[in-house]
Amino acid sequence: MAAVESSLPPGTPSAMRNAFGTVLSALILVLIGVLAFSIRLFSVIKYESVIHEFDPYFNYRVTQFLSKNGIYEFWNWFDDRTWYPLGRVIGGTVYPGLTLTAGTIWWVLNSINIPLSVETVCVFTAPVFSAFASWATYLLTKEVKGSGAGLAAAALLAMVPSYISRSVAGSYDNEAVAIFALIFTFYLYIKTLNTGSLFYATLNAIAYFYMVCSWGGYTFIINLIPMHVLLCIVTGRYSPRLYIAYAPLVVLGTLLAALVPVVGFNAVLTSEHFASFLVFIIIHVVALVYYIKGILTPKMFKVAVTLVVSIGLVVCLIVVAVLVALVASSPTGGWSGRSLSLLDPTYASKYIPIIASVSEHQPPTWPSYFMDINVLAFLVPAGIIACFSPLSDASSFVVLYIVMSVYFSGVMVRLMLVLAPAACIMSGIALSQAFDVFTGSIKYQLSSNSKDDAEDNTTTKNAPKDDAASGKTDKGEEVAKERSSKKGKKKEREPADKPSVKSKIVKKKALVLPLETSIVALLLLIMLGAFYVIHCVWAAAEAYSAPSIVLTSKSHDGLHVFDDFRESYAWLSHNTDVDDKVASWWDYGYQTTAMANRTVIVDNNTWNNTHIATVGTAMSSPEKAAWEIFNSLDVKYVLVVFGGVIGYPSDDINKFLWMVRIGGGVFPHIKEADYLRDGQYRIDSEATPTMLNCLMYKLCYYRFVETDGKGYDRVRRTEIGKKHFKLTHFEEVFTSHHWMVRIYKLKPQKNRIRGRAKKLKLKTSSGVSSKSAKKNPWM
Amino acid sequence: MAVHTTLSYRFFLSIALLSILAAVSEPTDLTTELVSLRSSSESGVIRLNDVSKFITSVATPRPYSLIIFFNSIDLNSNPLQNFRREFGFVSASFISNNKNRSDVTNKLFFCEIDSSDSESFHRFGIQSLPQICLVDPSMENLRHHERGMMEEADVDGTAESVAEFVESRTKLTVGPIHRPPLLSKTQIGVIASLIAISAPFLIKKFLKGETFLHDSRFWQYGAVLVYFFSVSGTMHNIINSIPMYLRDPEDSNRLVFFYEEPEIQLGAEALSVGLLYTGVGLLLAYVTDALVRVRNVNEQRVAMVLVMVVSFLAVKRVVYLNNWKTGYQIQMYWPSSWQ
Repeated sequence: MAAVESSLPPGTPSAMRNAFGTVLSALILVLIGVLAFSIRLFSVIKYESVIHEFDPYFNYRVTQFLSKNGIYEFWNWFDDRTWYPLGRVIGGTVYPGLTLTAGTIWWVLNSINIPLSVETVCVFTAPVFSAFASWATYLLTKEVKGSGAGLAAAALLAMVPSYISRSVAGSYDNEAVAIFALIFTFYLYIKTLNTGSLFYATLNAIAYFYMVCSWGGYTFIINLIPMHVLLCIVTGRYSPRLYIAYAPLVVLGTLLAALVPVVGFNAVLTSEHFASFLVFIIIHVVALVYYIKGILTPKMFKVAVTLVVSIGLVVCLIVVAVLVALVASSPTGGWSGRSLSLLDPTYASKYIPIIASVSEHQPPTWPSYFMDINVLAFLVPAGIIACFSPLSDASSFVVLYIVMSVYFSGVMVRLMLVLAPAACIMSGIALSQAFDVFTGSIKYQLSSNSKDDAEDNTTTKNAPKDDAASGKTDKGEEVAKERSSKKGKKKEREPADKPSVKSKIVKKKALVLPLETSIVALLLLIMLGAFYVIHCVWAAAEAYSAPSIVLTSKSHDGLHVFDDFRESYAWLSHNTDVDDKVASWWDYGYQTTAMANRTVIVDNNTWNNTHIATVGTAMSSPEKAAWEIFNSLDVKYVLVVFGGVIGYPSDDINKFLWMVRIGGGVFPHIKEADYLRDGQYRIDSEATPTMLNCLMYKLCYYRFVETDGKGYDRVRRTEIGKKHFKLTHFEEVFTSHHWMVRIYKLKPQKNRIRGRAKKLKLKTSSGVSSKSAKKNPWM
Repeated sequence: MAVHTTLSYRFFLSIALLSILAAVSEPTDLTTELVSLRSSSESGVIRLNDVSKFITSVATPRPYSLIIFFNSIDLNSNPLQNFRREFGFVSASFISNNKNRSDVTNKLFFCEIDSSDSESFHRFGIQSLPQICLVDPSMENLRHHERGMMEEADVDGTAESVAEFVESRTKLTVGPIHRPPLLSKTQIGVIASLIAISAPFLIKKFLKGETFLHDSRFWQYGAVLVYFFSVSGTMHNIINSIPMYLRDPEDSNRLVFFYEEPEIQLGAEALSVGLLYTGVGLLLAYVTDALVRVRNVNEQRVAMVLVMVVSFLAVKRVVYLNNWKTGYQIQMYWPSSWQ
């Protein structure tokens, strides 16, 4: 893991070595990119090139719209295919980064005559961006601890399971591009901090803009960077480079962030962003103090400092008071529930059951860490220690990053994704340092045995480097560096940032470890790395590659494939009218609109609770009441997912209690207790009459007894309570191959009309009845 | 209740009680007596020593409701006394919130019965503590008081739950609970002035760069500590308030430290695995940062062998525990010709 340097004159052997090192690192980086891409292809190899799960289908549909209609249409898109009859403004309510990225890739490929479909581009966006993310990790870690650590970190990130879980081929979600944007923004921040160049500062703001476009997690950046700035100021590390790294980011970044419709004025109005403004003021006060210190004599400065500090304090106090007043005037203190539960972990469990109930928002246990970052959990502490010797602006940033992200991941398992890059960087630093020490010891002792001449060479070469490393912490020298030219600064700084163990070895003979133990330690480290690779490949292949739209199960008579979802969505799109409305529980909303292209009542963007409660109430009501609710919503088909035949546990019967709860939350005549027998949820002969007569039960178990003659439900492991019944208001139109999806049509309004017609016939002439019969639209 | 000192007074009282038993009760007098008792106690909670006088012997409907907290000072239980204090807050808040409305305050009295009064406990059929009972104006039989008992699920020890219980049963509003502030006004004043005085010195020290914040060791230890607590999943244990260990349900002498289910972990388990996670990293850092500086080669050798053995065992232990807990078995993808 050779450190790459460019300051040496060309032609010398060491320059050749460095050129070789550069080429080698480039080659390694390419291989890392290939690794990152290919480890995520298990889902395509094992299944096929499909989009996974639920949210990616929505993103896919938006991308399709974008590629067909162009960006302006996309920006103004009002979608009438979902949340019928309300509709949804798509352009203003999505983070557009992912769709714009994939749309651009598709457009570029097509304009150079590579005819890929939008779906293919969407499927492979995430693996491509994982390769970018590992390269960004290399750049970031290189800025902190040199290219050796950078390569190690990039290799670790390429296959960290936590990141694989969100970026396998087909998982076309915001996180796929957001993690790259996150790491790249951090890299540019560190780069600006190390060089003090406004060019990188501007790039940093643009990278931040891309991150804001991509993911709501951008608030992590806009809180972490101010925290680092504050930390630098507090620990006396303020420098003009810090100012250049921070001030343009806040100004430009906030302006750019406000351009994203879904963020808009939130960029200045919500508490998540206030920390950055507060630090923005503080850094100006500090900059003023340093400026005055520069132009005044020490004596004058002492006088001035009292003045400036007091004025600064007053200004800060006023701003704090204003902020507090602003925050206090909003009900949640301006913080969203999710952010609050990060600050006070017990908040969600106390006050927001919906947030607390989502499994992604649970705090993780220790096996989660082992599953998601595996052996990196062992290496991170060593990386933290390594970052402190010596502590630089860049290394203090990565330490802050790991500390914050590891705390947040401890509160919410979902944020393990943000921890993963930090853990990779830290472990990369630790691994690289350990390899340096062990290989250095081995090399030194082998060469000292043979008493090579080369030793003298390295001594002279590394001596100045070592001085630079030791002088780096010196404050005065840093100030002097600021004033030197940009180029000179670059050259001076680069060796300073890189750890050079070789120099340590040469400086004193004592700085080596015994030969044989070093070899054993090296072997152990390689074993640890091998275990990591095995775990990651296993996780990618077995744990995280199921698309959940196609299911498989292995049994003694071979592999079974359940493709019922796509079968039924295809049925819908071929056998129903384009404008028909399909009602289902919200989980299947995105898929229905994307794959069947039919209008749905509710979908996975759960923005309107009342609407969801209406569907929940309909599903929990008896047939007639449900029919009336659905008819009032213009629904023509009802779709239910049923796993009782093949034993698919996440079906609608298992989700049914949530429908009852959410429905009952808005319509009080639905009571959870009516569906429970002695507090237990059951569907067998002990089930309550309300349960046995509700629409969901009937639609799921209609004709179920015909499958095996007994009506044995393989998910609930029991025989169902009511086996033979007829539907009065619905008719079965489609049941998929394995009975996983069942679609019913609402019967036309025949019964009621005829009954009324009979009455009318008795009362008046028959002319009226024929008129009213004509009113029925479906007869 | 007042302590009766003279015999004659007692005699007089017993006569009075007898007369009450003869259904010649004077409810308005009782109310005034309760009011005076209340005003004499600190938070407005009446020490009820005479159940019969105010409850059983008064003809229903009584002009007031009593909410009784069953206490036991001898039990010396902290949660119980905390709850008793909360109960006092509700009482005080109720009185202060309805200060000028005697028609409201005279409808409800907060009382307390101690376990030393075993007769009353027996009368109410109290088996367990904490227990709160509302005696509404029409209640006659104290032993069949299910209606008035606060449900066990609601007895969570907070003033809010008591207030909610009272409001739901009596249709009187308690209003916001006033707790005494954590620090009194004088304390806040002293602290503020201390900060104000020390601020210039602190700022001066800070500008010179002499505080502990400038010591990188402080940050180093802090970072490792945060890492340790997070990886061991301490937040999970805090949020779900999980104990350090459990007792084996089959053998009460055996303690269970490790729980075989990936979603749940016990406190001791979490900390020990967190220690293994962090320990290996720290040992590696020790070798690469500190041990290289040691001059004695043999010392280095012994230390390295120790470190490697410990790390190897720690990693092996974590892998074993993980496989045991989650039931996963990592599968290797060897070429098929090797198998």
